[in-house]
Amino acid sequence: MTETIQLGGAKETGFFPRLRTIIGRRTEGRGVILLLVILAVLAFTQPLVFTALPVTIGRIALIGIVALGLTAVILMGELDLSVASTLAASGVVVAIIPDLRIAIPAALLMGIVVGIINAFFIAIVGIASFIASLGMLFALSGLAFVLSNEVPVSIANQDAGLAFGQPLFGPVTPRILLFFLVFIAIQLFVTKVKAGREFFAVGGNRQAAYDSGIPVKRRIFTGFIISGFVSALAGVIYTLELTVATPTAGSTVLLASFAAAIIGGNYLKGGRGSIIGTLIGASSLGVLQVALFLSGVQVPVQNTLIGAILLIAVITDPSSLRAISARVRATLPDRTKVEAQ
Amino acid sequence: MPSLTPPSGGTQRERKRGKMRKSRLILAPAAMLAASALILSGCAAEETTETTESAETESSSDDTTTEEAPAETFEVYALFPQGNDQAYGSTLIEPLQANGAELGINFTLSNSGYDATKQLAECEIAVAAQPDGIMLWPAVGSAVRPCLVAADNAGIPVWVINTDVGPADAPLTYGYSGPDTYGQGVASAELMCEAVDGEEVGIIQVNGAAGNGTAIDRDNGFTDHVEANCPNVTILAEQNADWTPAGAKQVAADMISAEGIENIGGIYAADDSMVDGAVQALEDLGEDASDYFITGIGNTKLGNPLVKEGKMYGTVFQSSVWEGENAPEYMHRVLTGEIAKGDRVTAYMPSVKVTAENADDPEVAPEW
Repeated sequence: MTETIQLGGAKETGFFPRLRTIIGRRTEGRGVILLLVILAVLAFTQPLVFTALPVTIGRIALIGIVALGLTAVILMGELDLSVASTLAASGVVVAIIPDLRIAIPAALLMGIVVGIINAFFIAIVGIASFIASLGMLFALSGLAFVLSNEVPVSIANQDAGLAFGQPLFGPVTPRILLFFLVFIAIQLFVTKVKAGREFFAVGGNRQAAYDSGIPVKRRIFTGFIISGFVSALAGVIYTLELTVATPTAGSTVLLASFAAAIIGGNYLKGGRGSIIGTLIGASSLGVLQVALFLSGVQVPVQNTLIGAILLIAVITDPSSLRAISARVRATLPDRTKVEAQ
Repeated sequence: MPSLTPPSGGTQRERKRGKMRKSRLILAPAAMLAASALILSGCAAEETTETTESAETESSSDDTTTEEAPAETFEVYALFPQGNDQAYGSTLIEPLQANGAELGINFTLSNSGYDATKQLAECEIAVAAQPDGIMLWPAVGSAVRPCLVAADNAGIPVWVINTDVGPADAPLTYGYSGPDTYGQGVASAELMCEAVDGEEVGIIQVNGAAGNGTAIDRDNGFTDHVEANCPNVTILAEQNADWTPAGAKQVAADMISAEGIENIGGIYAADDSMVDGAVQALEDLGEDASDYFITGIGNTKLGNPLVKEGKMYGTVFQSSVWEGENAPEYMHRVLTGEIAKGDRVTAYMPSVKVTAENADDPEVAPEW
């Protein structure tokens, strides 16, 4: 008699098993469930969230745009704490150069340079991304104050700024349009382009990525350049919409961006996650914030709630569950030994 | 021969599914938490309205001859950069809501944490909700134009408090009530000049948070007045702190080290909390703060005792209660048409100087 040993599960055939497999591989489940629950509850308690759709989408774009760039770095298991100060500094660059045709490219170039410097310290010098980007955070924050002479700087062309905040068509403002363009670009890059797909390999197992010939350092440069560029783009958008650059701009952006990425199922140690997940996370946060604001819930209560959701999102990560489960098993008395005694 | 029995707990696939199930089960509390918060938030909003109504009913039944329930009720979004997270904000909000309830104004409060972009987003949401009015305490005074334009286009009147908007934006608002932040700097400078009384003195200056409108105004007011009226006072060095005693202590210690304690005869700090930090920096060096000319702004619960102890010559009273009580009054006048668009009203709170002579007066009892 021949015995067959099967390693791993049998290949699923049929539509529903395949669908189940596909869903099982996705990391956005928690974000989707959270978003659905929020939308379902709001349909009854705060329908204004839906009737004021342009505002709600605008809020999602505000939270999400930096989070999308940040996700490119998180997928590789790195952190970029300098996103908010890149936003502030690039915003000031837009304001201090009178001609927007020069100011906007200069600000975006600055974001790219910031990404290159971050990546240099991380990939070439070997400094942990937390430390390197923390240093960049302070440096750029200081630069924003120096460039602005510590006061808010108005853009020269106020009318252009005010026009920038108006809808292009329907409810779509330039902010919303740029947000979706950034989403599509990064989504295509990390799913359809080889270099982008390699982000997952770099984040999943860096040594294996090296061994299989993936240019890990080049990928780290690419990820940080994306993050820097998108943060600078957000800075341009913020400054044009406000018609003023403030050196303290984006002070609430950093935590919101990380929250959106984490709620969307991105694993902070890299290798697992998705841009769609970040979009879902940003949507959950954005809709929740709009609803809580409309309901007059005090900010400390809002923060407590968002913090609790974030904590649960981290705890319910499968790897965290495995760690918790292992700890629990280790602390419980070994049943076999107890029985033997 | 390898064992064909799967390890306890099932196959790898089964274990994985088990973990996924576990993950989803644990997610349930998150979803429930969000759902409960949203439902509770709805209840909270309703409760606020009910409380206001019941208070009005109680008031009218108890004292029907003197007070009547408001004939009309108004929904107003109050877009603030701080709230119950800071002493000034919390002591302002209480009279604001109480007086608002009496006038039939129900406030929905926000707190942007001094992030101008976040405040703009909140303004967009507020405009979409189409309230009767918007009360704006700008996070950054010069960054409110898009919010004002959006409100103006929607026909929603805006009343500004605490930090006034610039002259170009003023026509988009109905008025301003709150402190004269430039005037406060001037008043503190007047106290300094009075204290110094013609003596040649070098001082160090501790400003508020960099980029903050109030900090900039107070700095300009103090500097302009000293330069114009008491040339005997020389500002040796100035630095920004973050409005906290700890931050001020650090920058004051740095400036004292850089300039030399023997060259410093006085300190101006843009807020009493920061005066407290600067005094600590002096005392850490073994100095007696009462030997120095020190002035501040606020007459806060930290600052008033310093005046009484002689460690600070004087300060300028900023009343959060005045601001909280008066803002709904002006908003109500706007909502009832008493203040029309184009009649822009400016109401500054009195910048009362507080020295050892009047520090115990009940009129200047510290509020925050």
